[in-house]
Amino acid sequence: MNSNSSLCSRRHFLHSGGFGLGGLALASLLRDDRLLAAPVKPLLGAESFDVKPKIAPSPGRARAMISLFMMGGPSQMDLFDPKPMLAKYHGEKFPGEVIYDNVAQASSKVFGSPWTFKKSGQSGMELSELLPNLQQVADEITLIRSMRSGVSNHLQGMLAMQTGKGTVGRPTFGAWMAYALGSETQDLPAYVVLAHPSGLPTFQHQHWTNGWLPSTYQGTLVQAKAPYILNLDPPAAFLGKPQSRQMEFLKSLNGGHAAEHPGEHDLQARIASYELAGKMQVAAKEALDLSGEPEHVLKLYGIDNPLTADYGRRCLTARRLVERGVRYVQVLNNGQSWDHHGSIIKSLPERCAETDRPSAALILDLKQRGLLDSTVVHWGGEMGRLPVLQNDAGRDKWGRDHNTHGFSQWVAGGGFKGGLVFGETDEWGHKAVKDIVNHYDWHATVLHCFGFDHSKLGFIRNGGNLTLTDGQGARVVSELLA
Amino acid sequence: MKRSTPIRRLLLAAAVYHCAAGISVHSAALTQPPAKGGASPAPVYETQVRPILKAHCTHCHGEEPKLGGGVDLRLRHFMDGETKDGSRILHPGSPGDSELIRVIREGEMPKKGKKLTPEELATLESWVKSGALVSEKEPDSLPPGPYITDEDRKFWAYQAAVKQVPPRFENSPSLSPIDAFVRAKLEEHGLGFAQEARRAVLLRRLSLDLTGLPPSPEEISAFEADKDPAAYSKQVERLLASPAYGERWARHWLDVAGYSDTNGYADADSLRAHAWRYRDYVIRALNADKPWNRFIQEQLAGDELAGVSHGKVGDAVHDKSKFDALAATAFLRLAPDGTGDAVADANLARNQNIADTVRVVSTSLLGLTVACAQCHDHRYDPITQVDYFRLRAIFDPALDWRKWRTPAQRFVSLYTQADRDKAAEIEKQAVAIEAEAKSMDRKFLDELFEKKILEIPEGERDAYRAARATEKAKRSPEQEALIKKYPSALSLFGLNLYDPKADKLVQEKRAEATKLRATKPAEGMLTVTTEVSGDIPKSELHHRGDHDQLREAVTPGELAVLGGPEIQKPDPSLQTSGRRLAYAQWLTSGRHPLVARVLMNRVWMHHFGRGIVNSPADFGRLGELPSHLELLDYLAVRFVESGWSLKAMHREMVLSQTYRQSSINNASTAQDPENVWYGRFKIRRLDAETVRDSMLEVAGLLKKDMFGVPVTAARTTEGRIVAGVEVLNANGDVVKVDTSAPAVNRRSIYLQLRRKMPMTVLDTFDLPVMDPNCESRPISTVAPQALFLMNDDFVVQTGRALAERVRKELPGDARAQVRRAWILTQGRPPAAAEEDRFLVMLSEQTESLRDYSAKHPGPKDAPPSDPQRDAFGSLCQALLASNRFIHTE
Repeated sequence: MNSNSSLCSRRHFLHSGGFGLGGLALASLLRDDRLLAAPVKPLLGAESFDVKPKIAPSPGRARAMISLFMMGGPSQMDLFDPKPMLAKYHGEKFPGEVIYDNVAQASSKVFGSPWTFKKSGQSGMELSELLPNLQQVADEITLIRSMRSGVSNHLQGMLAMQTGKGTVGRPTFGAWMAYALGSETQDLPAYVVLAHPSGLPTFQHQHWTNGWLPSTYQGTLVQAKAPYILNLDPPAAFLGKPQSRQMEFLKSLNGGHAAEHPGEHDLQARIASYELAGKMQVAAKEALDLSGEPEHVLKLYGIDNPLTADYGRRCLTARRLVERGVRYVQVLNNGQSWDHHGSIIKSLPERCAETDRPSAALILDLKQRGLLDSTVVHWGGEMGRLPVLQNDAGRDKWGRDHNTHGFSQWVAGGGFKGGLVFGETDEWGHKAVKDIVNHYDWHATVLHCFGFDHSKLGFIRNGGNLTLTDGQGARVVSELLA
Repeated sequence: MKRSTPIRRLLLAAAVYHCAAGISVHSAALTQPPAKGGASPAPVYETQVRPILKAHCTHCHGEEPKLGGGVDLRLRHFMDGETKDGSRILHPGSPGDSELIRVIREGEMPKKGKKLTPEELATLESWVKSGALVSEKEPDSLPPGPYITDEDRKFWAYQAAVKQVPPRFENSPSLSPIDAFVRAKLEEHGLGFAQEARRAVLLRRLSLDLTGLPPSPEEISAFEADKDPAAYSKQVERLLASPAYGERWARHWLDVAGYSDTNGYADADSLRAHAWRYRDYVIRALNADKPWNRFIQEQLAGDELAGVSHGKVGDAVHDKSKFDALAATAFLRLAPDGTGDAVADANLARNQNIADTVRVVSTSLLGLTVACAQCHDHRYDPITQVDYFRLRAIFDPALDWRKWRTPAQRFVSLYTQADRDKAAEIEKQAVAIEAEAKSMDRKFLDELFEKKILEIPEGERDAYRAARATEKAKRSPEQEALIKKYPSALSLFGLNLYDPKADKLVQEKRAEATKLRATKPAEGMLTVTTEVSGDIPKSELHHRGDHDQLREAVTPGELAVLGGPEIQKPDPSLQTSGRRLAYAQWLTSGRHPLVARVLMNRVWMHHFGRGIVNSPADFGRLGELPSHLELLDYLAVRFVESGWSLKAMHREMVLSQTYRQSSINNASTAQDPENVWYGRFKIRRLDAETVRDSMLEVAGLLKKDMFGVPVTAARTTEGRIVAGVEVLNANGDVVKVDTSAPAVNRRSIYLQLRRKMPMTVLDTFDLPVMDPNCESRPISTVAPQALFLMNDDFVVQTGRALAERVRKELPGDARAQVRRAWILTQGRPPAAAEEDRFLVMLSEQTESLRDYSAKHPGPKDAPPSDPQRDAFGSLCQALLASNRFIHTE
């Protein structure tokens, strides 16, 4: 992979201080030409890996992506995919065969959505009353109702959606992005993961793993509470000159050591990680500090309302990161909080209330700043849910089991066609039947938006060219694109 | 160069690098020579066609009880028939007329799962076109279900290891077998060994590898000065005999065994307070070089080896000759277990724990991923769902999901009768003291009352007295009203509010009871896996892995493709089923195709940084093929012949030239960056525990006491998880963490491992998540690690401690101090220029810090700042953070 930094400019490079002289002094040290010059080429010509900006073979409209990942499996028939048949036959026996995951609590009773749908926007896209804010931006989003991964359970489903296949150990989509395109800023990681204040999703680091790609491409975790990134600062007495002196010393030690071992990528990568860390000290704080955002923006994201404040903050942070050149941001929920096996009537509206306004605000805000066209915003989980009841033990306990054979997600910006509803599930909402979009088709399409051919963008390992879609017969779903 | 290598092996290994992940075609070249004229050869049914059908088709067409469309694709000759609609399944020579090809081409099939790739379809078409032939005779008929072919059994991993003769090199006849195998491969790839590493480098490598700790400067100089030809092997023996060896290598086994100090599964992640006894068992076993056949048997069936059933285990734990065998069986109770906590579905939690236990056993010892066969037949390896439940049935009598025992119900008290008597006696005394405290309290309150009642009008005093004497529940409304009228006279409780002095006396009395109770002998517990005598549950296949959909009964057994004897009670006098013991004996018989190879591969991986099979927990078809199969087999056979002595194998490996190579070999780095052919010692980052332990060691902080209760993990207010004790306020919030106990600097293996609260220092450097176990650790290089080394309190304080150590050792001589710190961390003294530069930086740094503390005076009671020490500390911190220190080379 070639890098030619002179061709790539940062989109919006914001120089901002406010973190004391120490931080700035360090930053200026690290901004020193010697450090920003291309890294020492290994003498042996072996490949070295970095996050310098790269040019795609046929540059697409998309330059960055924000994935609002909803671990657990949001219920499509209650949110995105209205099925009148369910209401009509509510409580009756489901006529066909259901593919259950949790057989223990399975029931074959049809479960009509307790919520109504509304035709929204010029396009008349039908969206649930649980998503009133999304309804307002219906013309900006592409709703895919025919997603399918066909693998069972959360881990495999999540891996399929994030890594292209339901097996552990592969790189996540964000890692591919970081590998393929690098970052447009060298002051922030290429791939940032924003965690929920109550904790990580069930499968933790597997959401942002680099798999077998070089570890440089792993996502950087940002916690919801200070210290957002642990150890961002040294003890107070060391801010500024003392730390830069310390780093200079460390650099000389590591430089001498690396010179003894030409061509060892791991050593190069670790040296690079210090450069990134130094820059992050300044840039990350600036990017994560929302205090300079005007009132109306905070309000737009619902940061003034305790219910939406957390998710709003993180969506706004995602926008700020992308604005500063971060390539891929993933906003996570905790546990698998969309996994409504029971009590869906109480819990689903809660999850929606937290996320609906901020998600819609993100679209509006990006659009208003002229960034939506180059930023893919994705909203979706690893699966959907079944048309039948689970836990038939009273209305307040009703839930729905997993469904990876047909589910919905939406995407906006980055070259996707707004106001489009694509694909269909069967009349019950169980299985995708028309214009099916498999997880690998989805990946191929997003890669296409970024200018890559999914069958070519690969990583050579053990004599094979490994790809995200990995020979699964993926197709670019061009119907989704504007 | 002349050497002898069996041809089959050569061809097989040559194919390694031409196969990406997925279906291997390694033996194609053996059965069918390439066609003449450059045309590509016809695909071979057994190795190229059948795996495609197995992956995509036979699940519905042959392996399920109901035959999809009446079509069975398990054997070639089954395809001679027609479909239900009367179309010809196969028309040899004419793919266009073959229904098999049409349905795939047109996307009708497979109905479920992923479609065939264009390459796979092309392979099928080409095979049909070439006449749809088979190379080997097929059986006439098959029983229902999946079928294991001869071709399946031929896969290298399912064939027993063969004793290998190392290649001979005329010019170096004394080459060790390991080096001969490695050299042969290197030469095949146009490479050779690197120079031998410098002694200082070599000793550091060896010491970190065998003990997880760096050598002292004195050990390095002694080794450098040692003229004895056996100097190196003396070092090997010294380190293998060190107690630190067991602490280091136990950690590797605890990874695959899935050791944790918490139960996991449930949100609570409750403490597994007695798990450390298993950890200690592993350390003792490794230090004693317990033969691994015994080590494995104890862990799988120590209770049966000791002849102990559930009813007798209470006494047996006091029998010294049985203790270790019983402690070992906690191996089968290491998987996440939520059954003692609040979980949504208790049966699911039980079955999940059993599934995780099977996974731990299979990945640690068999090197196979059998987990997917829990729900359906394995699509790539010849492992059926029946196989899976037969394997599970071996453990069913001990882990019976219908008669489940929670973690607490697996505890066996280590109290002796004397302990028990003593505890009862103490309890009796404590109860008496508490009663005394209670009567004191009452007496003080009564005395108070006699004063207070005088404040009440005389006429109401008798009534009030009666009301007070009446139990609250039995008081009449009038009595309640009267008490409300004069509330403060009641004096029935709250002595502390009336008379703090008297209350203090009562509290002191109560504290006596608490203090006395603390003198009870501590009640140790041992987790033991046992069977209830005569209680053998029925083992069934769980349809789709669901315990609510039980199907046919199964008998216990090894995976069919691995062969092995029937699982029978090894000794009729056993009170238990004997299944686990029989299985453990088979695994350690020396005839098992996988166990010794899997273990040797892992040991090799730890020494050399990369497994011979680079997927150490998957030797199956989706795993990677061995880079040096003959070497792996040689090691496996040697291991068994050595009496399963791990130390013997360490010796052989670390004494090899391959191990002693320098980390610098430009040709190897250029042509073989991943070091597949071992043409250098590939430099690599230390693992999490070794990073921490090494830092503490050179700073002079490491506490080396062995064994026992782990050092607790605590969450600081900033969100770090550190070794220490949480200090809580009345609300139960952590106000600070007490890290003053020296024990916080014990070796990492003695730190509490909580699944949901990993220690920050370890987590930062890729401590694995035990879910349920970890087969090989990733090594990441990310900015948060840099930030940790720059700013985390642990590294800052350790740097300071290192500075203090050298200042104390060499008082007043700044140059000597610098040299000492340098040798401790870099393994060599600084060059003159480096030393001068260091001293300049030190004085500048001291000046900066002095300026800072002048401008920011601390609180009056704080200890005086020491800018010189902190400055030296900050530079020592950089030495600790340096790549040379956190890597081994």
